[in-house]
Amino acid sequence: MTPRKIVVTSGKGGVGKTTTTANLGATLAKRGKRVILIDADIGLRNLDLVLGLEKRIVFDLVEVAEGRCQLRQALIKDKRFESLSILPAAQTREKDAITTEQFSSIVDLAAQQADYVLIDCPAGIEHGFRNAVAGASEAIVVTTPEVSAIRDADRVVGKISQERKPIRLIVNRLRPEMVRSGDMLSVDDVCDVLSVELLGVVPDDEEVIDTTNRGEPIVLDETSRLRTIYDKIARRLEGEMVPFTNFDGTSLFGRLLDALKVG
Amino acid sequence: MQQTQAVEHEAGTAAPAPAPRLGRAIVLTSGKGGVGKTTTTANLGTALASRGVKVVLVDADIGLRNLDILLGLESRVKHHLLDVLEERASLDDALVPSKYGDTLFLLAAAQSREKDDVETEKMKALIAGLRERFDYVLIDCPAGIELGFKNAVAGADEAIVVCTPEVSAVRDVDRVVGLLGNRFRPQLVINRLRPALVRKGKMLSVDDVNAILRLPLLGVIADEPDIIVTTNRGEPLALRRENPTGAAYHAIAARIAGEDVPVPMPPLSKPSFLERMSSLFGGKRA
Repeated sequence: MTPRKIVVTSGKGGVGKTTTTANLGATLAKRGKRVILIDADIGLRNLDLVLGLEKRIVFDLVEVAEGRCQLRQALIKDKRFESLSILPAAQTREKDAITTEQFSSIVDLAAQQADYVLIDCPAGIEHGFRNAVAGASEAIVVTTPEVSAIRDADRVVGKISQERKPIRLIVNRLRPEMVRSGDMLSVDDVCDVLSVELLGVVPDDEEVIDTTNRGEPIVLDETSRLRTIYDKIARRLEGEMVPFTNFDGTSLFGRLLDALKVG
Repeated sequence: MQQTQAVEHEAGTAAPAPAPRLGRAIVLTSGKGGVGKTTTTANLGTALASRGVKVVLVDADIGLRNLDILLGLESRVKHHLLDVLEERASLDDALVPSKYGDTLFLLAAAQSREKDDVETEKMKALIAGLRERFDYVLIDCPAGIELGFKNAVAGADEAIVVCTPEVSAVRDVDRVVGLLGNRFRPQLVINRLRPALVRKGKMLSVDDVNAILRLPLLGVIADEPDIIVTTNRGEPLALRRENPTGAAYHAIAARIAGEDVPVPMPPLSKPSFLERMSSLFGGKRA
């Protein structure tokens, strides 16, 4: 298959780009794909922390760009999976330490040895964003069901559409009980505003805070319902038709059902 | 210090016109996005203005503005920061009066422009001008540490860093404190603390966070769904003093104003019914 180069972006920060990148990457690797995750957030890297690999960093993205090491030397293999590696960002450098051309050629190099290259984009729409998007051939936009996040996502969708790259949407941190009480926008509301194909809906789960702090992506937890959700997202990404879970049910019965069902 | 200068000028009869008492320019920053910079800016602005002082909130997130939404002013923005910097509008035309107090104003960011459209020197001059007219200029910084961050910080003379109790946020704040340099003595607001998770050992505590950052603690805000609701509605929670989180913002505002009030802390010692039941049976919930 042609390797997929996908940027995970959002505009707004803190909506779950890095968590999505780590968990989707881990899920794809579990499904037997060769996956390389690239942290494009130079100066504010976090993907290494979320995967618990921070102590194993030797070289970083900027050093690869500057030719001070080979890509394979900088890649950190996540030993919990068959085929998952990350390329960490530099922590003490700035986003403009790397040009768009340099970044794109590193992504292409990574794509030669992977089925999926996922690029964890920095927040905002500055130089770091432009680099991350330039290197990708498709995009996953992550948003939370909040007015401010959706407005930022809309802006990012506009920018990526200009480059004619396909975009799909993940609605993250949905709280079904708040949607029902009318205090949170529903998935339909979000999709209406953004008019982007929906890739997945991930409910809010406080366990994510803990697993992130411990450097263990939540998909490693066999009991987590998010594991099933990310698996569905990975299958949709691979082209399978997988039905969506409806989190917007209004009845008491629906609520009980929500509590029971996974995915 | 600035106050003393003004008094001294008044003493001399032949002195030039007294130098205006400059307001304080405080940037709210974090490195990581989504930790609550904009929410904190809107709420502290609302709380400060309720004290009768003049406050302007400046949205420095060019291209991804949100402060207008949180204040419910998105339909009232006529001109933005770049209109002022590029002299298409006067400051008076661009300042949007708040719905929630006569002394609170918003200067919105441009939505369809880029961060590098702002010249740092012009931004500094703008903030200096605002300090002559307002007691407080709160600058809502964009996420990241690129040009937008540098421009937001350039005109400020004080910094508040906002951090959530998560390792990634703490790491980013630590980096930002380094980048702010010696010109600032940043104060810390810890946002979105969930006492129940801290008790279960599943979230960093205030002490855990500050063991790493070692910054003067200005306040701690609990995580609660009310924030999402008030954000979507454009009504800052600080409008409700009876709400514990609203009250916490007022306490932080009082501390910023120099009052000797204790650091607001969400109650940590109140176990939930379920936790009490499980401890009754000797079980510690994992």
